[in-house]
Amino acid sequence: MANQQMPTAPPPQPVGENAKKYAWPVPPAKTELLSTSVRRLDGPAKAAGTAKYTFDIARPGMLYARTVRSPHAHAKVVAIDTSAAQSAPGVKAVVIWKDPGGEVMYQGDVVLALAADTEDHARDAARLVKVTYETLPHFSREEKSMASGATKVFAAGNTKEGQTQETGNLETGFKAAAHVVEATYATQVITHVCLESHGAVCEWSGDKVTAWVSTQGVHATRQQLAAALKIPETNVRVICEYMGGGFGSKVAADAPIVLAARLAKDAGRPVKLMLDRKEEHLDSGNRPSAFSQIKAGVAADGKLTAFDAKTWGTGGAGQGANFPLPYIYQFPNRRRSHVDVFINAGNQRPMRAPGHPQGCFATEVLMDELADLVKMDPLEFRLKNLPPQAPDAMWPEYYRIGAKAFGWEKRHPTGDTTPGPIKRGMGLSACQWGGGGRAGNAHVDIMSDGSVVVKCGTQDLGTGTRTLLPIIAGETLGLPVSAIKGEIGDTNLPFAGVSGGSTATAGIAPAIRIAAGKARDALFARVAPVLGVEPSALAVGGSKVFVKATPSKSLTWKAACKLLGAEPISVDGTWEPGLSSVNSSGVQFAEVEVDIETGITKVLRVLALQDCGLVVDKLTAESQVYGGVISSINFALFEDRLLDHNTGQMVNPNMEHYLLASMSDIPKVDVMLMNQPERGIIGIGEPPTVPTASAIANAVRNATGATVRSLPLHPHRVLAALAQAGKGGSRA
Amino acid sequence: MAQTDDPGGTVSRRDFFKTVGASSLATGVLTTIETEAQVARPAVVGPGETPVTLTINGRLHKLSLEPRVTLLDAARMHAGLTGNKRVCDRGTCGACTMIVDGRTVYSCSTLAIEVQGKQIRSVEGLSRNGALHPVQEAFCAADAMMCGFCTPGFVVATVALHEKFPNPTEAQARRELNGNVCRCGTFNRVLEAALKAGKGAKMRAAVELSGSEVSRG
Repeated sequence: MANQQMPTAPPPQPVGENAKKYAWPVPPAKTELLSTSVRRLDGPAKAAGTAKYTFDIARPGMLYARTVRSPHAHAKVVAIDTSAAQSAPGVKAVVIWKDPGGEVMYQGDVVLALAADTEDHARDAARLVKVTYETLPHFSREEKSMASGATKVFAAGNTKEGQTQETGNLETGFKAAAHVVEATYATQVITHVCLESHGAVCEWSGDKVTAWVSTQGVHATRQQLAAALKIPETNVRVICEYMGGGFGSKVAADAPIVLAARLAKDAGRPVKLMLDRKEEHLDSGNRPSAFSQIKAGVAADGKLTAFDAKTWGTGGAGQGANFPLPYIYQFPNRRRSHVDVFINAGNQRPMRAPGHPQGCFATEVLMDELADLVKMDPLEFRLKNLPPQAPDAMWPEYYRIGAKAFGWEKRHPTGDTTPGPIKRGMGLSACQWGGGGRAGNAHVDIMSDGSVVVKCGTQDLGTGTRTLLPIIAGETLGLPVSAIKGEIGDTNLPFAGVSGGSTATAGIAPAIRIAAGKARDALFARVAPVLGVEPSALAVGGSKVFVKATPSKSLTWKAACKLLGAEPISVDGTWEPGLSSVNSSGVQFAEVEVDIETGITKVLRVLALQDCGLVVDKLTAESQVYGGVISSINFALFEDRLLDHNTGQMVNPNMEHYLLASMSDIPKVDVMLMNQPERGIIGIGEPPTVPTASAIANAVRNATGATVRSLPLHPHRVLAALAQAGKGGSRA
Repeated sequence: MAQTDDPGGTVSRRDFFKTVGASSLATGVLTTIETEAQVARPAVVGPGETPVTLTINGRLHKLSLEPRVTLLDAARMHAGLTGNKRVCDRGTCGACTMIVDGRTVYSCSTLAIEVQGKQIRSVEGLSRNGALHPVQEAFCAADAMMCGFCTPGFVVATVALHEKFPNPTEAQARRELNGNVCRCGTFNRVLEAALKAGKGAKMRAAVELSGSEVSRG
């Protein structure tokens, strides 16, 4: 993927004809399935361990592949000797990815891959490959790479300057300020840590290849894999029935997938190539670092006046690191310039709400500092500086509702004055996200025996997409979810876009609604003569087709479908504007306990208010919010990709030193879904993961009186901030 | 990342590593120090394949494995049991959690040859004739899963929790489930499922030995 994508609201499009005809049932209309809590359909398969992920696929005669990767942060590949590996037991194919003479730009950059009859044989053989490197200068720190006079390590330069954005008049703005804050805020690089690693199983049949890929987009992967293999897209089939987490990192046919296909071609046998945990950390994406050097002013009445920021960050060895700043709150006069800095480390990929957690952190911590200067409560201060309330900008109302539910009035001013080392505090923060629909297609068949199938070439990342198909079709056809079969995760199914940027549901749900609506109308046309009415007089519900005016005049679903005879109903639906919207808003509150002797922070509770337009399945939508909150707690307190600055190698490419929360770290989380059915579907994957970390950082500040301006809030940072503020120790 | 020493006697992470350390030390002694007296030590096997018999979910699996093959890989790649997952591959994340003789183990860090003759239970052994175990049912009801990759490990750990504490307190549940990591963020609902599963649902007896034999590998 290219640079971070900023969600920008596209210009409103005219509502499509089918979107008008098959508008969502919104209150006061009652729904049977839509916006209720429907259990995840594949829950039993997942809980029983019978769900087959790419990692679980085994094909007859399948080989196992391993990659050989650069141990160096930057080096020239001088020579590759695979002779010992090729004659090792079980080895069937070797494919060179980086030819001698080429450069490897980071530890974990792929050099070659090989396939053998067992995984252990592949691993043994990989150790026998001799790659001769000539090491080259590397950078592992942003400040070194961007320093003036730094050795040029990257062909196009070590940095890439963005355009300066300026609005209003900074001079006027700072003149109007009664107080000014000047500080630098920073967030760290974190990796996606998908539990199912990246990879594929590829199997050729003649000139056609079937690829089982752990991917967020079967159709996009087909397109890219075909291009990489230089074969027609029609010769590639991509399947992803189940996948174990992506979070933005599985949107491309990356090297392992292409290598699996090439090894399989060479060996004439199916090949499985799944990354191991270390490779996952090094070379499957990350969230870029973000540094914001900010000068901001506030007037005595609490109105923001000016914002001037220089920002930078690294997306690795060539990728961008931009992020939105300032975030949400209105600074009438502002200037911002950004520089992407390149270092010799794995490249970033979109990670859940790309850019937003970074911009949110810098802005929200700054907001609490400014609020203290004008002696205002952080909530009141925010209400004074938010954009005007609108359906897609609901922060004022959500802050008020949330504050009441959370007990915000019990918050003490900055610094818990109760005696003892354990200090308590509260913080809050807001989020936004674009989301919305993209092009997508769906197909519905109604058979003469009454069975119904919905087909859509989307994929379920764990968000519950699979369950949405029968919910929407069932609502439209008056059937229970159990009466409908849903098929996803295969390029043989109608095109759907990548599940990313909170666009999957808003893309496919309108297509399914339209396809199911058309199918219902086709059935009405067959049933109407039998019931002696016009098709428009009919309705569905309770597995029946009935006359609206006299519901007793009806046919059971089965009897109605029997009228179809030999010709089933088979119709397509395509996304149209009008059934989905863009821009969601949310707010979160956090309460923490900080031990000022050890610097350890414990999150006690979080309250999340989040809208996403029309909720399709309340149960799985809530899970998305829980998940966003937990991810953000990890970002706030634990995760950190650590590089050894002498070697440029990652110090913690595992799961014992790359810290993640476990059960004892999890606070009480309350989720309030703010349903906006009249707006259509928007999407919910990204926004809830944006504000938790900022709310926690502000809660730590409220507890201790010390401001920690960089994440993660590891004990040493909290202690350093306490020391700087002169507030450490139990007798403080 | 939280680690809790367990006064109640479960396998804490520390105990686990102690066990692993001891066994790998023993292996090193067996294979490298030839001058030791030939007293009371098991025969050296490997590095080639050797017969290994595992009792998983009450079924005998007669396999031919290199001694370095882990219980997890034996189950996944040789016995066709792919329910439990390999994620961290070094005893941290719990996706591979199985129950061996009543105690939870990280099967990615347990050698298959070490657990011969023991009763091994993987996630596939929990449902009976297509009916989910009450813990699995509770996970579905609470939506205690998203991508589902950590779910089998969490389910097995939760079953072990209930066999130890039939009506677990929140503190007991949190402690017993500390060895499992989820990336989608299902913890709150896993905890809810773990606490609700015990209510009114009688846990099944440990393992039903069928005695049937399966030869593979």
